[in-house]
Amino acid sequence: MEFLVFWLSNIPSFAAPFALGVLGMIICERSGVLNLGAEGFVLVGAMSGAGLLIGYGDFPLLALVVSGACAALLGVLFGLLVATLRVNQVIAGLIIVFLAQGLTSLISRNMGWVNKPFSGLGKLDFGLLSDIPTIGPILFGQDLVVYLTVLIYFISFQIINKTNLGLMLRAVGESPEAVDAAGGNVTLLRFGAIVVGAFFLGVAGGYLTVVVSKIWVDGISGGRGWIIIALVIFARWRLWRAMVGAVLFGCIEALIPRLAAIGVQLPQYFVLMLPYVVTLLVMVWSNVQSGGREGAPSALGRPYLREERH
Amino acid sequence: MSVAKTLVGRRRANLEIREPMGLLAKSLVLLVSVLIGLAVSVCILIASGVSASDLWNEFIVYIVTSPKNLSAVLVQSVPLMIAGLAAAVAFRARFWNIGIEGQMIFGAIAATYIAINDLGPEPMRLVLMFMAAAIGGIGWILLPAILKIKLNINEIISTLLMNYIAFNFLLHLLYGSWRDPLSGFPNSQQYDALEVFPLLGWQSLNFSMVISLFLVLFVLWLFIFSRFGFVLKVLHGNSEMARSLGIRIGLVVLLVTALSGALSGICGFVISAGIESRMTQSFFVGFGFSGILIAFLARDNPIGILIVSVLFATLVIGGQSLQVFYQIPFAMVQLIQAIIVMCVAGSEFFIRYRIAILR
Repeated sequence: MEFLVFWLSNIPSFAAPFALGVLGMIICERSGVLNLGAEGFVLVGAMSGAGLLIGYGDFPLLALVVSGACAALLGVLFGLLVATLRVNQVIAGLIIVFLAQGLTSLISRNMGWVNKPFSGLGKLDFGLLSDIPTIGPILFGQDLVVYLTVLIYFISFQIINKTNLGLMLRAVGESPEAVDAAGGNVTLLRFGAIVVGAFFLGVAGGYLTVVVSKIWVDGISGGRGWIIIALVIFARWRLWRAMVGAVLFGCIEALIPRLAAIGVQLPQYFVLMLPYVVTLLVMVWSNVQSGGREGAPSALGRPYLREERH
Repeated sequence: MSVAKTLVGRRRANLEIREPMGLLAKSLVLLVSVLIGLAVSVCILIASGVSASDLWNEFIVYIVTSPKNLSAVLVQSVPLMIAGLAAAVAFRARFWNIGIEGQMIFGAIAATYIAINDLGPEPMRLVLMFMAAAIGGIGWILLPAILKIKLNINEIISTLLMNYIAFNFLLHLLYGSWRDPLSGFPNSQQYDALEVFPLLGWQSLNFSMVISLFLVLFVLWLFIFSRFGFVLKVLHGNSEMARSLGIRIGLVVLLVTALSGALSGICGFVISAGIESRMTQSFFVGFGFSGILIAFLARDNPIGILIVSVLFATLVIGGQSLQVFYQIPFAMVQLIQAIIVMCVAGSEFFIRYRIAILR
């Protein structure tokens, strides 16, 4: 029972970065832009959040905003490549990952941010509510971002599905020709979606350092960006399915330290493989279910240029 | 559209599709974009505290004038070349093999298994290790390839996830039963003399150079002169047409990915048997990404890959001395690669379109 409470109360903080990242990916990809740069945006967010806390003082919430902002800046570059210059979206995404790996490693070393622990963002305390046995630590013992994430999901759902802006976003991912003919600005819409998406991917990265690890080392995201991309396929580009996927991965990641704590002896490196193996299995499962592209925006990965319209 | 219709007074910019550019004009655009990329990189390096004359010395003078450094560049270019070939071969079948590093790990593991268990007759040892490396690489790409062919599972993500799995398995070996019994360090024991490539007699240049040149020629033959290369060209150009011509696409993709995996495995092997004489826990780092960028810059052309990988190797060797003498992190090399490729990728826009100012 104690094991179960511990485990369940740890899930939200493992699920939150996945949830935020998948949200960013969905915003970007619903506009028809294939984003393989997720790992890069996550890395930049993770480093800039940590950098703010180490170099400029203890403002954890500001650090998360800075994480998002720096990733959004990289998003501007990605937007320039794919929305303006119409570079092949696969190549552009990979370039973003390489660039971010080099950049974060270089900056963090030059600034002396590597391996410096900081206090980061702690859990909220609701007083009596948090002391309720079993339910208290699970529902009322999380950090602020976990609750904000649920709120952000609700708002994003409303915007994407209930507003004109959301309609334009979805339309540009399904048929940019139609949006162009209706007088919408395809490049601007895609650019906006990329930058906003990059912001949330950056916040997800920031969460990894500011809330979870409270330290920065090179490549701390450990492939979570790629897991996020796989989760988008699992979610079929729908927000609430994305939340389910994020919680599922939160369960798995939260289980790993718990198993060691209760003394289950497993070869260490095989346990560390687990998230990647599960991601592969999830991809197999969702493709067997739906062929892999069900729910994908029709124009995903296709650059749009009015002069090349067929 | 913001780009197509930037209103400037009464004039407006409009995008037009160009007539296909001539080879000369195309090369000129390419050259300019590479120069822009280099200029940006030089600016970053100067901002990090390396003077321009030092850069000139480290990257050009010391490499051209010193046979020792020149041979170091050539030795370094071998694995880059093979990684570039591995990426290019897969790209020809529209299979994005991002898992080169994982396949390198399993290639090296297979070769090291032969080496530390002293399998096979001694004169054949290197040949056996070569074949084991190829098979190890094929083994590690087989699952993503089959998942792609049978279930249409995105190979970019699956090959990449396999990298992380391979890396953890490598650590499992090196921190476990394969740890060097002599030093206690987490790398394999040193290869015997007959398990490393023989030197060619000039500086540090070794037999792996011959292997890589042979592989370049082989891929060149495959792409340009073989019947299989023609099938690949059809498949690359138009997969619908390939299907209606009766080409068994699944089989072609399987063969091509197997070749890509084999090349990656060999790439891991030439590093462990040609450069480090053992299997370390970081021998593969960066080669997968470099391979992809090299193949992209060379437009999948084997001769182009040969040239670009020597240039990349110059960057690596120059970067190593910057690391030693100026404390510039090695990540700078990766950053420069990414910047140059970004400029080249962006330049295609100007090859395809013209911005016309309309009144």
